[in-house]
Amino acid sequence: MLSGSDTVYVLRYFDLIGRAEGCRLLLTAANASWTEEHPEWPAEKANQPFERLPVLVERSNGDEWILCESLTIERYLARVFGFMPTDLKQAALQEQMADQQADLAPAFMAQLMATDDMKSKQIDEFNTLLDRIVKEHGRILSRNSSKQHLFGDQLSYADISLYAFYKVYIVYLKIYQSNIDEIVKPKLTPEIINLILSIEKEPLLAPHLSKCDSMAAVLTSKAF
Amino acid sequence: MSSSNVSYTLRYFDTIGFAESSRMLLTAAGVEWTEEHPEWPQEKPNQPHGRLPVLVEKSTDGSPDFVICESTNIERYLARTYGFLPADLKQAALQEQIRDLMSDVGNLVTGYVQIKNGEDKAELFAKFEKLLETLVKVQTKLLKDNGNTGRMFGDKLSYADIIAYGLYMNMLVSLVKFKADIVDIIKPKLTPEVVKLISTVETDPLVVKHKSRGGSLVTVVSA
Repeated sequence: MLSGSDTVYVLRYFDLIGRAEGCRLLLTAANASWTEEHPEWPAEKANQPFERLPVLVERSNGDEWILCESLTIERYLARVFGFMPTDLKQAALQEQMADQQADLAPAFMAQLMATDDMKSKQIDEFNTLLDRIVKEHGRILSRNSSKQHLFGDQLSYADISLYAFYKVYIVYLKIYQSNIDEIVKPKLTPEIINLILSIEKEPLLAPHLSKCDSMAAVLTSKAF
Repeated sequence: MSSSNVSYTLRYFDTIGFAESSRMLLTAAGVEWTEEHPEWPQEKPNQPHGRLPVLVEKSTDGSPDFVICESTNIERYLARTYGFLPADLKQAALQEQIRDLMSDVGNLVTGYVQIKNGEDKAELFAKFEKLLETLVKVQTKLLKDNGNTGRMFGDKLSYADIIAYGLYMNMLVSLVKFKADIVDIIKPKLTPEVVKLISTVETDPLVVKHKSRGGSLVTVVSA
């Protein structure tokens, strides 16, 4: 662990799952001292370095260091706390998965906002990319001897990133599109469902996940 | 790291697109590399994520080819491997956050190009302009704080500088065919510091031999 025990973190974001869940899970898994701030918005917009959230504030020995952009914050925390492999090739394979997942967000918004003439094309594109992501999760998992993890046999950045991804697309985005879970869930294989539930049970994640609804009921429900 | 037994193939379309930064990183790294333009969409199923760019790293030591995809991931891998991203985690993260902001601007550009509806197009373009203004403000502050040397970080060509150049190339050159007046819209928003960044990158000895399909970006921003 590269940060001192007197280092504290503040995660600034909205009081939503949104783009910050991966950051929350990493800070939790790291057993870091951290709190969350929900800035008044848009009043506090101008006070953020990129006028956006999330923002990570790291305070240590009287110094304050600030980082923006959710994926950069995730990769930074993952590296600081040892959830990202130090081998560059192994790290690239985990980051590649996270980057592919991130591509789904603009595709989701595009199909949500599309006007009638573009709607079915945008929905197709969203589904195609989602199918590819799920297939890739399955492929990575099939090559790993542990089926509770994507890489190796311990909680990694990729595991946390995958869990946050499915939480966004099965739970969070329902506030924008109420049937999103009915679109995503049928695509999940039993192996992926098992992986999600295994990650959810990771003791390192308990301090945060114990305060959230479990995905178990949602994923194993027969009535959807 | 020795690059004498390693070579690369970059698979992409024969366009600037999302690969220009990777081309420049490969050139700056001084490694042996070539480009492949796969038949498309025939070669789609043969790519790890069904998309391009893809980077193939071959080694003469008999190990299997190492294949990665996702343009930003390729850039970070090359930048870390060849020292364009610092080993210090905080210093690297500060460069990566700029890259992510640039990606967001790039995504708005792509979205704009793909949208057909006139009203949405105008709204998206307004969003793009606003975020571009934020990006220019952030980059200008970095450039000024770094002594206005035309570099955002440190005193040599960095990952962030190369990515910035690639993004401006994409916006100012590639986008012209989708929006004829794009240069007239973007140029006035560029500060002298950002213009100097563009020329500092273009003339850097490490990338000067990279002949971009887009020609000289300095010419475009100075005209």
